[in-house]
Amino acid sequence: MRPVSDNLGLAQLSDHLLIIAVVIYSLAMLAYAGDFAYGRRRAAATAAGKTARPVPELAGVGASSGAGTPETPETPETPETPETPSAAVPPATAGPAAGGAERLGPLIRGAIGLTYLGLAVHLAGVVTRGVAVHRVPWGDMYEFVTALTCVTVVFFVALMMRYRAWHLGVFVMGAVVAALGLAQTVIYTPAGPLVPALKSYWLAIHVAAMTLSVGIFFVAAVLGVVYLFTERYTRRVAAGRSPANHGIMRRLPGAEELDRLTYRTVVFGFPVWTFGIIAGAIWADQAWGRYWGWDPVETWAFITWVVYACFLHARATAGWRGRRAAYIQLIGFACLLFNVLVVQTFVTGLHSYSGLG
Amino acid sequence: MTDVRAPQAGSGNAPAGPAAPAGETDTPPARPEPGAFGVVAWARWGWRQLTSMRIALVLLFLLALGSVPGSLLPQQGVDPAAVQQYYTAHPALAPFLNALGLFNVFGAPWFAAIYLLLFISLAGCVLPRTFRLARSARALPPQAPRHLSRLPNSVRYETDMTAGDASAAAAALLSRRHFRLNQGEGWLSAEKGYRREVGNLLFHIALMGVLVSVGVGGLFGYKADRLLVEGTSFADTVTDLDAYHPGHFVSPADLAPFSLTLDKFSASYIASGPDRNQPASFDAHLSYTAQPGGPVRSYNLQVNHPLSVDSTKVYLIGHGYAPVFRVTDGRGKVVYDQATPFLPADQSTYLSEGVVKAPDAKPQQLGFAGVFLPTAVDVNGQLQSAFPAAYEPAVSMIPYAGNLGLNSGVAQSVYQLNTGAMHRLATSAQVLAPGQSMKLPDGAGTLTFTGYRQWISIQVTYDPGQVPALISGIVALIGLVLSFLVRRRRIFVRAYRGDSGRTVVDVGGLARSDVGGGFEAEFAELAADLRSVHDGADSGAGRPPDAAAPGEAGPRAAPAGGDDSQPAPVTVTTPGHGDHDSSPRSEETG
Amino acid sequence: MPVFPPSSAVRRAVAAAVTAVVGVLTVAACGGQIAANTPASSGVNFVSGNGNSAYFTAGSRAAAPAISGATLSGARLSLSSYRGKVVVINFWGSWCAPCRSEAATLEVLSEQYQPKGVQFVGVDIRDSLASAEAFVQNHAISYPSLNDPADEIALAFRGTVPPAAIPSTLVIDRNGRIAGRVIGQASYSSLGSILAKVTAGA
Repeated sequence: MRPVSDNLGLAQLSDHLLIIAVVIYSLAMLAYAGDFAYGRRRAAATAAGKTARPVPELAGVGASSGAGTPETPETPETPETPETPSAAVPPATAGPAAGGAERLGPLIRGAIGLTYLGLAVHLAGVVTRGVAVHRVPWGDMYEFVTALTCVTVVFFVALMMRYRAWHLGVFVMGAVVAALGLAQTVIYTPAGPLVPALKSYWLAIHVAAMTLSVGIFFVAAVLGVVYLFTERYTRRVAAGRSPANHGIMRRLPGAEELDRLTYRTVVFGFPVWTFGIIAGAIWADQAWGRYWGWDPVETWAFITWVVYACFLHARATAGWRGRRAAYIQLIGFACLLFNVLVVQTFVTGLHSYSGLG
Repeated sequence: MTDVRAPQAGSGNAPAGPAAPAGETDTPPARPEPGAFGVVAWARWGWRQLTSMRIALVLLFLLALGSVPGSLLPQQGVDPAAVQQYYTAHPALAPFLNALGLFNVFGAPWFAAIYLLLFISLAGCVLPRTFRLARSARALPPQAPRHLSRLPNSVRYETDMTAGDASAAAAALLSRRHFRLNQGEGWLSAEKGYRREVGNLLFHIALMGVLVSVGVGGLFGYKADRLLVEGTSFADTVTDLDAYHPGHFVSPADLAPFSLTLDKFSASYIASGPDRNQPASFDAHLSYTAQPGGPVRSYNLQVNHPLSVDSTKVYLIGHGYAPVFRVTDGRGKVVYDQATPFLPADQSTYLSEGVVKAPDAKPQQLGFAGVFLPTAVDVNGQLQSAFPAAYEPAVSMIPYAGNLGLNSGVAQSVYQLNTGAMHRLATSAQVLAPGQSMKLPDGAGTLTFTGYRQWISIQVTYDPGQVPALISGIVALIGLVLSFLVRRRRIFVRAYRGDSGRTVVDVGGLARSDVGGGFEAEFAELAADLRSVHDGADSGAGRPPDAAAPGEAGPRAAPAGGDDSQPAPVTVTTPGHGDHDSSPRSEETG
Repeated sequence: MPVFPPSSAVRRAVAAAVTAVVGVLTVAACGGQIAANTPASSGVNFVSGNGNSAYFTAGSRAAAPAISGATLSGARLSLSSYRGKVVVINFWGSWCAPCRSEAATLEVLSEQYQPKGVQFVGVDIRDSLASAEAFVQNHAISYPSLNDPADEIALAFRGTVPPAAIPSTLVIDRNGRIAGRVIGQASYSSLGSILAKVTAGA
């Protein structure tokens, strides 16, 4: 079978697009950070519908903890939602649009715009890479990381369309920039064809599922870290101490909300990860003659699965919710990172297709 | 695991509310009464511990932790050579690790103990719940609590409809939304989301199914390897296999009686560019028969395309070169004339190493060890292979004479020469092209390199547990998704004549497995729809309701009205359908 | 949902189900190769036995399949031509160390039992003609060997007493039924005792 030659021009275009995406994401991250530092306090701007009731997710942590805050809780405006009849019902629940159309300052609007722009460029970079090599763009480690970070940003944006906690963007953008930077430097592999063992339609299925789920777990991990900080802040405020990072914290969602977001994200990603393992087993059977052989990457995928299962069980167990569950989730992501970065690259096994060897 | 408890009628509150899903709270195991510390009491206590969620967490974590050394240390089953290397590199540490079973983690007894305990815990939890679910499949939701305002989600408003009509209208709406209803004097209970438990149990039972399938496959299946040179045949019998690993209950008569011949093997490699020397494709052209005397079929065996014969599968695992040698001994007799498989030492150039053993050569047994180079080039006096395809095949062999050690009866590796009882013959290293010969000194004989062929290594696998494992995996996935998507929740409606003469409608809602939140949104939507139904033609939007504010909900922090990130099973109907017909009470088939 | 305490019948059912599951899991885990990897090939490239032998009494012998083929010298040979004699079929290869080791024993037994109407026949597998002939010459093997590179003869024995290793030796009585086998290297005593019993008419 004559291998189809790769379009090196398109491959170069892909590389350039991805570098541009990194730059745009960095700018977005700066804009998000800038809003923390310089964004106007919008508490005074909106005075409609003031009740002392607890505010929905966009409220600062101080408000939701109910422990008394130095500032008036921000009340969301609901310009687009006529269908919220009773004030007894938390207004945010009437629909996604009402979730807190807080008036966003110019800095954060710019950050959101940059996020969208960066995502478009990022997508273009991934797609052009795929066209350049005439196959799905996740055949080696570099392509895998660029594709999964794309999934991360898409998922984050979709999540924010419902929850509108855009200030979380600074953390997500930071993580994505770090990952893409790693991809462009340490993990970079030039465009090329696949070894015969990878030439199967299962590549599209199995690695796609892994790309999706790792991208989603990435978001959950970032949220989990933010949750830990938020939860610590809440505890300190409740204990009467006044911590220093109040300015940042009041713009972030409440601890419980973050916890719930994290849980929902993991719940979304866990079945995809499970499916990815099953698809991988089917493919392994076709290619290597057995559906499970405790290959190092398989083993670590299993370990990751078990730890995330631990997390799901922990959240349903009294005494293990909250911080302990968050730790478990982060351990799970650490296992995942270890699997992708260390085991696939350095531990020899059948999965050594990273392209780096 | 605690039983699923119903909210007591009249108390109006579930034990812990949405923050602690009632079905999954972990309660401390019951203490045996003083004086009853018999064996049975201890056994019961132990059983309750084992099947508790906490222990499941611990066991899960141990399972993950136990797998870690199995992936980082060399494993006996995967790469025994690497284990040997580890022994030589860490002479003090290795025996200690071996005693802990760390060189065969996944077959070690302690690993088996962990997953067995985990599955016993699982079985002890899941099976009673399955029975319970089966018995409660038709059970009706309980009576509505008296004080609905004490529920975590509640709303109160007034309507002009009569109490009976209001109840009927609510029942109609809820039954349209596929709730299972139970009605009584002035109250209405609706429950939905039974599928969640089904999904949950299905998932866990399917996990057990996976384990059983793996076990069945291990007991009744077998794996075998064979290296096959082009032009030779192979029959699926133990005598024709290189390695045979049967399950406990497998006997040689169980092997499927197929035979296959490797007609031709072709491999292509990338000749230029950054991926030079990488393989592009492998094709092994086989002809096979499913039974002796059956029709001959042909098949192109490739990686990712195994051959399936009678539920036994043949996989292409590797390939290499087998140079053809002819050895003439000191008497002038041809004592060896066949293709000899050499193992590739370098994956990118396929420089291969191997040995030739001629134990029936006279006057002395002869042996040769050397290399085969598919594309031989001379680089600064050193012989190297430049490309994995055989464009310039050449061999370079070192001759030995003496005692090969085969007559002792102890099996040897066919790829290694034991030169302990042999001496090297005094002749300079020669590079042979196809057709060339090397004459041995002192009339010991001649070695001729006549050409080369290629070989493939195949793996024959029979695993009766494979398909059941796959089905179990898929069922587990379905159960998982089901248990995540569906929420178990109850809605209560009480309609009674209020002080003002109008009918007061109390609506209360309770999510019994709302670990992720989001029930508030659904409840709010439902309450709004109910209100619209009860308002009928009124535009009730302007009437400020007497709200039971969510602040009443209790000490929990913000009832974060998180939007439902999961697709709400409740279909949103546009409000305003003043449906006064009372529909028959429907039963939800959950 | 009202929860009634489980009746004793249900409790028994649950206990039985749990026990059954536990039993299955334990057997599955302990008995098979569950969760353990199959050991990698050590380069020996054949399955050798441990030399244990079995003798089948007259009433429980399976009929041997009809075997025929070409010998190393090219002549045609079929098992049916030996009807009335005891036939010893030995699967061997010149490359196989235990086969080389037992060759002398087989030749001794062959000469010893020939007057009693025992015919040895070798089946040479996975061998080249040159190596096989050199082997036969060197060990002065007097009995013929069939050349079976495709291992079809072993396949033919699949339904009866399959040769489960190399070398394997099968003893077929005068009525064409399989009377005994040795899986692995045959020793003078293991094969000799089978031959003694078969030739005595047992």
